Amino acid sequence: MDKQAQRHLFEGIIDQHKGILFKVARAYCPDEEDRQDLIQEMMIQIWRSIPKYNSQYKISTWLYRISLNVAISFYRKNSIREKRHTELTEQLAETLEDKSENEKQLNLLEQFISELKEIDKALMILYLEDKRYAEIAKILGMSVSNVGTKIGRIKDQIKLRFSQLKIIRQ
Amino acid sequence: MNELELKKLWQTTNDRLDENLILSKRNSEDIVGMKVYGIIGSMKPIKFFALLIGVFWVGIGGTALSSIYLNSFSEANKIFLFSASFQVGLTAIALLVYLYQLITIYHVDITDPVIRTQEKLLNLKMSTLWVARILLLQLPVWTTFWWNETMLNEWGVLQWTISLFFTISFTAIAIWLFFNIKYENRNKKWFQLIFSGKEWTPLMTSMKLLEQVEDYKG
Repeated sequence: MDKQAQRHLFEGIIDQHKGILFKVARAYCPDEEDRQDLIQEMMIQIWRSIPKYNSQYKISTWLYRISLNVAISFYRKNSIREKRHTELTEQLAETLEDKSENEKQLNLLEQFISELKEIDKALMILYLEDKRYAEIAKILGMSVSNVGTKIGRIKDQIKLRFSQLKIIRQ
Repeated sequence: MNELELKKLWQTTNDRLDENLILSKRNSEDIVGMKVYGIIGSMKPIKFFALLIGVFWVGIGGTALSSIYLNSFSEANKIFLFSASFQVGLTAIALLVYLYQLITIYHVDITDPVIRTQEKLLNLKMSTLWVARILLLQLPVWTTFWWNETMLNEWGVLQWTISLFFTISFTAIAIWLFFNIKYENRNKKWFQLIFSGKEWTPLMTSMKLLEQVEDYKG
């Protein structure tokens, strides 16, 4: 693939699918400044991987693999983030007061997702993005039945967190 | 909150993203214009520096020791010579493991399924434990470097007792650590104490991630 074609494809992919990168980055990296670095790293990996792109996979499957792999590796290398994460949780609780009900719920959902273990988080993002179990299995590299079992478990966990919060608020 | 409500709520992040998507044209142009760095170019300067020092140490040490073996073996202090050879040899093995790690990490395909890729990366990270085990095996020779033939003839019981106490203790500790520093012992207190510094955090995090990967494979 010549450089011009690679550039064209890269810009097209980023323009059309940047939402994937941002959602994954938001889930794995609550800190705005670090998130920019994470997105930059994802873009670098996409650029490098374009010549190896296998058209048997959907672009979104390919992109999810790259962005999730980069995000999980980024977390591993920068675990300082965990501390900031706790601080952000406290800040979140304070700032929730001024927001609309929908925004509060969304902040809580994001908060609960960020509390999940790294691979559970990937699974939950894909589930919420309405991906079919077969596609999730392809992205993560696990069996379809395992996807179903794990999703069920994580959903219960999140529902429990919402109901616990409801009890506290009452 | 039911499934549908959860998904609907998640979809509202799209509205929020629209506000935040300031993915500047410049950002992608920088990446397009970026040189593809090789392994050396993508290394952190401190790691590159450590690798250089290691290569330098093994190079100089290896050359000096070879010269002694070849030209002046009969006059050399044998205890020093064997201690130094053991130390340089182990450093060379540790360097090779480190280099293998670097090269393999660089060739991991990031577009493979997440669990497979992470497992490869994490297992490679775990090989850092091998570097630590090999380097710790050097402990005993640091107590024998300075021994010489005069000591063998002139030292009394007390001096030998003290000296041998340290050498035997260090040998026992090094061998014990060599066999016990492994992933299976990650939750033991002594293990967490040894690997508690900031520089070991990525390794400890990798271990937690590896547990998740194993759970997903099971």
